[in-house]
Amino acid sequence: MAVIGVGRFIQQRQDFEDAIGRSYRVEMAARVRLAQGSGSKTARATVATQARRREELRDQISADTRDTALLVAAGLIAGLTGALLLFSGLIASMRRPLEELVDAAGQLAAGDRSARVEVGGLSETATLGAAFNEMADELEQEASQRDQLDRLKDEFVLTASHELRSPLTSVLGFAELLMLERDSLTSKQVDTVEIILDNCRHLVRLLNDLLDLARSDAGRLAITPAPTEVAPLLDDAVRTMRAQTEAGNQTLSLQIEPGLPLVEAEADRIRQILVNLLTNAHEYSPEGASIAVTARVLGAEVEIAVTDDGPGIPESQLEHIFERFTRGDAGLTQRVGGTGLGLAISKSLVELHGGTIAVDSTPGGGSTFSFRLPAAAGPTPGHGRAAEEASR
Amino acid sequence: MTLVLVADDSETILLLMRTRLELAGYEVETAADGQEVTERLRNGGPLPDLLLLDAMMPRKSGIDALRELRAEGIETPALIVSAHQDATDADAPSDLEVSGFVTKPIDFDRLLESIAELTRD
Repeated sequence: MAVIGVGRFIQQRQDFEDAIGRSYRVEMAARVRLAQGSGSKTARATVATQARRREELRDQISADTRDTALLVAAGLIAGLTGALLLFSGLIASMRRPLEELVDAAGQLAAGDRSARVEVGGLSETATLGAAFNEMADELEQEASQRDQLDRLKDEFVLTASHELRSPLTSVLGFAELLMLERDSLTSKQVDTVEIILDNCRHLVRLLNDLLDLARSDAGRLAITPAPTEVAPLLDDAVRTMRAQTEAGNQTLSLQIEPGLPLVEAEADRIRQILVNLLTNAHEYSPEGASIAVTARVLGAEVEIAVTDDGPGIPESQLEHIFERFTRGDAGLTQRVGGTGLGLAISKSLVELHGGTIAVDSTPGGGSTFSFRLPAAAGPTPGHGRAAEEASR
Repeated sequence: MTLVLVADDSETILLLMRTRLELAGYEVETAADGQEVTERLRNGGPLPDLLLLDAMMPRKSGIDALRELRAEGIETPALIVSAHQDATDADAPSDLEVSGFVTKPIDFDRLLESIAELTRD
């Protein structure tokens, strides 16, 4: 439309210039005749007529220019609108497959490995869609391979720790047998057997811990919680650790808030957590240190805490403290007999009980490991014991 | 004298068990698997006061042997030895009368306590 308008305008302009040219020529001829003195009246009229005619032509062409300008403007607007419509149609046709891609990418990122898109639309979006599906296929395949590897790993750890138990039973059993006859052994032999026994027990702990972690990873670490009294568990754990803390001249105290409610827990597992925490407190604290076990009620939970006045934990290690094979300073690790798995397992176990575990420590200011367990519904036992203090 | 029949597919474990139990004053007989246990009792071997059976053995497991013996009306108390760390009474097949579980590595103080309790007249 604008093109037609411009074309017509050029044509009109040409016609106008031709007409003006003709008019000047006619006038010139009339003026020549006037100068020669022939036909002066008609010649004068012709000159005047031509001047008027050019005046009319100029009016005509300016009106035409205005019309053409309007026509061109209208054409441009119409063209732009058309282009806009075309463009938005184009965008719409790209947008649907793109939105689908965005949705599918979101699903994939959220772990839905079956997320795919329908390949279609413009060739670019179709290519993108096909590439996305291909990537998702590969991810799905890799994920399933990883799952399978994880299962194999768990199976391996379960089987290995199971198979290792029989020979370990023999080594441990015969070493114990030797110790039953320690009177007939030299002191050097007794020391030797004790080293064997220590290492056997360490292996047993390691096996048990590995097994627990493998079960935990495989989602097969199960507990059977029941309403459980806290005090006897703490008593028991403290009694288990007494010999070791006494050997290190460490003070081990137990303080239980009176009227503590029952907790919803599996007794053996809580004892295991306590022994883990107490073993750490004992092994990472120097000779003569104080270790305190406390229990108190906090709302609908019972908090059990193991506090020591040992060297504390640097901040850089605190955030990884519950990860497996994380241990305190290498300097200390030399003499620490832990497996590096105790805290990781304790965390799994506490969480399995629906509880939480936390650490609070400052270098040089000792450490407190505490965990909370949900209180069991029902009446609290009447006999809470206060400040049961025992040391050395 | 109290007779304990121990079954395990490991000769070393059998030797260990025999030594520890004999030291504690028990008479001990051993078998290499569940098959041997059932055959011996069927062929008129002396009826033990206690069975100490490994849960997993080739040919016949301790669990299967015990199931057969119970079916034949032999009510001898039985302890099942398991390499499963957390074997508990809850693991026992419900149709089987098991006196208890012993886990490997064996805590002999505890085992001897259990045996004493189960064989007390």
